[in-house]
Amino acid sequence: MKTRTISAWALGLFLWFSAYSAFAAAADWRNLSPKEKDRIQRNYQRWEKLPPQDKDHLRDEWNRYQRLPQDERERIKQRYDEDRRRRHND
Amino acid sequence: MKNPAALKSACKDFEEDLVLHYYGEGSTAERQRVARHVSDCACCRLFVDDLHRLLPRMTESRELPQSFWDNYFRETVAKLAKQEEKKFWWRSLLAPMQSWWLPAFGTVAIALLAFGLVLGKGKLTLFADRSAASLPQEVLADGEQLEFFKSLDMLESLDGLEEREGGKVKPKSNQTRLLSMNQAAA
Repeated sequence: MKTRTISAWALGLFLWFSAYSAFAAAADWRNLSPKEKDRIQRNYQRWEKLPPQDKDHLRDEWNRYQRLPQDERERIKQRYDEDRRRRHND
Repeated sequence: MKNPAALKSACKDFEEDLVLHYYGEGSTAERQRVARHVSDCACCRLFVDDLHRLLPRMTESRELPQSFWDNYFRETVAKLAKQEEKKFWWRSLLAPMQSWWLPAFGTVAIALLAFGLVLGKGKLTLFADRSAASLPQEVLADGEQLEFFKSLDMLESLDGLEEREGGKVKPKSNQTRLLSMNQAAA
């Protein structure tokens, strides 16, 4: 009886964690706002159509951006957001 | 109406001794004294006769029929069950869940759900976020990939932004290519 109970608990916990990890995997996506999701989808669709060399280049740019100091990255992002807002208003 | 089973009255002084005599108790002398009195006293003799007649009936065990014991057993079990029910009344609420099929069904359902999500890589439309339908699982599950695609616009103009920050200037060819990409996208 004790062995059966322990086995049931072990199986239950395994199944629970399996299901939980599957849901948790997409937690980053679920936490995004609808606007951000829309932006990512549009960018992904655009990315799919890019030639391989452009994809490589953007990957390099991303790696370079990631290596920048935190404050510089934030300044660049801020400037980009300002430009985008300005373009949007124009 | 007089009870025919009642004991005849004996001499008060001998009443107790007669009962002891009947059971064969007391010393030999005492037993001889009582026996002598009984032979002389008609009342006490009748009393002793009554003892012989009535006392064996009191000790004899009455054979009860099997049906009595069956009923007795059923009633006892019913009483115990009722008492148990009163003690653990809340268990009756869970009674439907005590059958074997419910936990078995639950286990199978959870197993199907877990394996479906793991092996199906989140493509089960019932549980998947419908807004993510156009994105592959490896992008959805990877925070860095999501960040990359969120920043794609910015990466395309990273050189220009860096220039304005007074940073590194990238070769012209890359900028031109990015410009062409932006135009193509537009």
